[in-house]
This record gives sequence, structure tokens and C-alpha cells, in this order.
Amino acid sequence: MLDYLRLEVRRTLRDAGFVIGGIAMPVLMYLLFTHLGADDGGWKTGAMVGMAGYGAVGCALNTGGGVAEDRAIGWLRQLRVTPMTPRQVVIGRTLTGSVTVLPAIVAVLVAGGLLNGVRLDAWQWATIALLLWLGSVPFTLLGLGNGYRLSGQTTGVANMACNLGLAVLGGLWFPVTLFPDWLRTLSGYTPTYRFAQLGTSVAAGHAPAPGALAVLTLWLLAFGSYAVLSYRRSAGNI
Amino acid sequence: MTKTTGTPPAVSFTGAVKSFGSVHAVQGVDLRISRGETVALLGRNGAGKSTTISLLLGLTEPDEGGVELFGGPPEASVRAGRVGAMLQEGRAVPRVTVRELVTFVAGRYPAPMPVARALELAGIADLAGRRVDRLSGGQTQRVRFAVALAGNPALIVLDEPTAALDVEARHAFWASMRSYARLGHTVLFSTHHLEEADAYADRILVIDAGRIVADGTGEQLKRAVGGSLVAFDLAGRGTAGLELLPGVLSLEVRGDRVRLRTDDSDATVTALAGLDAIRGLEVAPASLDEAFLLLTAHGGSAPDPGGAPPRTPIGPERASSSNSPGGGTPGRAGLHGPALHGPRETEAS
Repeated sequence: MLDYLRLEVRRTLRDAGFVIGGIAMPVLMYLLFTHLGADDGGWKTGAMVGMAGYGAVGCALNTGGGVAEDRAIGWLRQLRVTPMTPRQVVIGRTLTGSVTVLPAIVAVLVAGGLLNGVRLDAWQWATIALLLWLGSVPFTLLGLGNGYRLSGQTTGVANMACNLGLAVLGGLWFPVTLFPDWLRTLSGYTPTYRFAQLGTSVAAGHAPAPGALAVLTLWLLAFGSYAVLSYRRSAGNI
Repeated sequence: MTKTTGTPPAVSFTGAVKSFGSVHAVQGVDLRISRGETVALLGRNGAGKSTTISLLLGLTEPDEGGVELFGGPPEASVRAGRVGAMLQEGRAVPRVTVRELVTFVAGRYPAPMPVARALELAGIADLAGRRVDRLSGGQTQRVRFAVALAGNPALIVLDEPTAALDVEARHAFWASMRSYARLGHTVLFSTHHLEEADAYADRILVIDAGRIVADGTGEQLKRAVGGSLVAFDLAGRGTAGLELLPGVLSLEVRGDRVRLRTDDSDATVTALAGLDAIRGLEVAPASLDEAFLLLTAHGGSAPDPGGAPPRTPIGPERASSSNSPGGGTPGRAGLHGPALHGPRETEAS
């Protein structure tokens, strides 16, 4: 299992598209967005959490793209004729998703602290990183659900749509305070808004709101079920 | 565990049936492969080879009948690391090196062979550090072979292992396969190349329309359809009565030359001598090509909804009427394309 995790993490990190799109892009967008227009100080911190979240969501979804690719080339089928159990493969893939979100989170937080002068206590940095890391699990499951259900190309498109749609709706790119009322209400139900809220609460010095945890837990269950259903549907013809 | 005395066979199918919708891919396959055998599964595209292999590996469950590996369900053998496979549709795994990939797979098995040994057997020791997705088609194929044997499994299954290989790569591949088989492993490979089945397998299973239609060595198959061909010039005489000569199974006229398929060439030739009919006599063993074509002549319509009716497995009588234009190497073309009809018909048009 650990070997599988190592192999898949290695394969992911060798993917130039992943490194550029999943890690470099959020950092660049963070730096760009925080150097345009007036700055009220809070935005650099808010955008930092938002972009770290955006990067994490992108990387988490990317795990599903990997699954779709491995299905298409027959690698998952090949694994089925090794002593590895299907359960080990799925768990290994989920863990791969959890590992590969870390570089994006860390990179954006480092950019915030070193380049944008965001000042937080040590426990806040650690807690934000930890919460964003754990909070990305629902998105990994969403990606896996897409990857097990859709073809390689469709998975790429679906993941992209999920990533951009959820990022914008959830206020990862622009603060939701800029949204009209109805959109802000809608935003409150998105997993991405609640995901970022985990980080922004801590940055503001208090624990995440129970609402954030509740909504995120519901999404975790929803995406988890989606992943299980997708997997079951395709398991026979992997 | 099973009814047999001593160790159970490596592979055992009893009346296995598998359909996909209206396509009866496997229609009641019975077969046994003993440990240490090298067996070819020979059939044209769509004959049921890949489905048989999927059943064998436990990737697909049979609708009816049973499949056992080493006396237990296929999954148990796969989980125990007794099976290695080279699947037909596998492509290069991106962004890993050859050594990383083979090392990973070897590590899944309880008693793998050293990775260097696996690479050497597959003839890719010099490619160890290369990325798998940057290799040529033939090299990728050999990587997949290394993946199949890395775990040192007792049974190795190769689904059309030489498809898309050029002649040289093919020879290198079979040399590797033989070294592996010589270690006492059981090998099952599928192919639609007759000469490969003949040259590299101890035993050939001919599959057609989802059934095993013949089972034996290449020699036995050739003999089963009429051991040899006796050809001679008619030199103006008629063909009347030639079918009735001893040993003769069928007759074929091409121009002024007649070809008799016979299961006793000595008796046939002696009788011909008695008739003073020997002109430009030629006696040749029947080729496996011909054996294969005869065995599968009409059953090739596997995907027919409703299924083709069962055929007598070995039927020289079917050939007796043939005045086929298919000559020395009949119907090679018919074996390659996804031909749904007997190659004889296809060619005769």
C-alpha cells in the first residue's frame, strides 16, 4: 500500500500539468490578485487561504483524472491481476490525493508569509495548513467519483468545471462580500466556501463555525457516496 | 481440493459459459492445463480468447460452469500471487521508469524474482532507467512481459503477447518466454498466429465461436484434419474414383493438378502407383494453417445472436466438396481481420 502510494505520488509530481496547474498557478494567481487594486490588509490573508484552498481543490480533483487515465490505459486492470486487493487500490488512490494537495497548500501559505507579509501565530499557520489538508478530502472523493465514472477526457473537463465553478462560487477567487445577496446565500452552501472558512476562521483567531463543519460534512458524505457508486458501477469492467 | 488425485491442475474450466447481452462469447468451455505446460489458445479475433482469459483470471465471472486455478477460485490464486498476466489492452504506464514499475509489481508478490532478473528475462535490462511512456511499442510490450513475470508466478497468462511486434522483436519475445517456461512455470498464451502456437506451445487449444474445437499438439491437429497432402499432375486423366483411394479424405483440383488430403499417405501413394497415376508426385504434411481453417471453417460467426449451432470439431467431410482457391498458405488474411465468416467463403468471392 505504501509502495503504491509512493508510486502514484511520484507519478503525479512528474506530471508537468499538475505542477504548473496545481501548484504554480494558485501561487501566481495569489500574488497577482493581491497586487491589483487597493489593499486593506485583510485581503492578503483572505486571498491566501482562498488560493491555498483553490490549489488544494484542484490537486484533489486531479486524483480523479489519474484514475480515469489509469483505467483507460489498463493499469487498474493490470493491478487486479496482482495480489493487490481492489480496496487497497482505492484507499491508496485516496491517500495519493491527500498527499498531493500538500504542495499547493504549503506553496501558497509560504508565498503569503514570505512575499506578502502575512503575519500569523505559529499555531495559526499550522492549524490552517492542517484544516485545509483535511478539508480537501471531500474534493478528492468528488474527483474519484468522476474518475471512476467518466472517460479520461470527460473527467478532465468535469474536474475543470467542478474546480472553477466551485472556486468562484465559494469565493476562493474573489471575496463573497463582492457578490450580490442571492449569490452570497448560495455560496454559503458550497463546499468550497465552507472549506475556505475553516482557514479564514483560524486566521481571524477563532475556531471554525459549526455551520462550516456541518455543511462540509454533508458534502463529504455526498461526494463519498458518489465515489462509492461510481466505483461500484465501473468495478466490473476495470 | 478437487476430485482429482494429487495436485489439482493449474487451470480447469468446467462448462464455462459467458455472454455479453446477445453475444455468446464463451459457450461451454471445458479444459485442463497441468502444471508446467505451455499451452497456446489459438483462435481468430472474436473467437472468445480474451473472454476465456478474463474468466481464467477472475476478471469476469462465468454465467454458468466453473473456473478454477490450482484447485480454487481464480481470485484466491491471484491474491496469493500465483498468477501473472500480460493483458491485451494494456498500454504504457505514464511517468514511471521501467525499474520503478517492475519493482513495484514485484513487491506485491510473496516470492518475486529479483528485479534485475525479470528485466533480463524480458530483455530490457538496458532500459531500466527509461520512462515507460517514452519507449517504442515493442519495448513497451516487453515491459509488460516483465510486469507479468516479476512476481515469479506459477502461472503466467499472456493475451496476444506479440500483437504489434515486428519479426525480430517477436523472436526475442519468444526466446524470453521459453526461458521462463523452462523454469517449470505454467504458461498460457493466446494468439492468432498459427506458427507461433505450433512453434512455442506444447499443446494447442483451438477456440472458435466460444468453444474449444480442438485440443492437442500441432502434430495431432495436423493429423486430425488429414495428415498429409498428396499432389500430382492429372496429365489428362479424370478425377473419378480418386476420392475412394485408401486414406483419401478430400480432393481438390487446381488446373491440371490434383491435391488429395489423406490420413495415410503411404497407402494413397501405393494405390496411385497401382493406377499408374504418378506424375510430378509431391507428398507434404498438411500445414497447421489448413488444420486451423478446417477446424474453424464455419464456426467463425461467434457474434451471431442466438449463437452458431455446434459444429463437429474435426470434420474432413466438410472439406470434401471444396474446390477452394485458397492455396499453399490458405486464408492468412482471413485470420487477421475481424472476419465474422469463414475465411473460405470470404476468399472464394
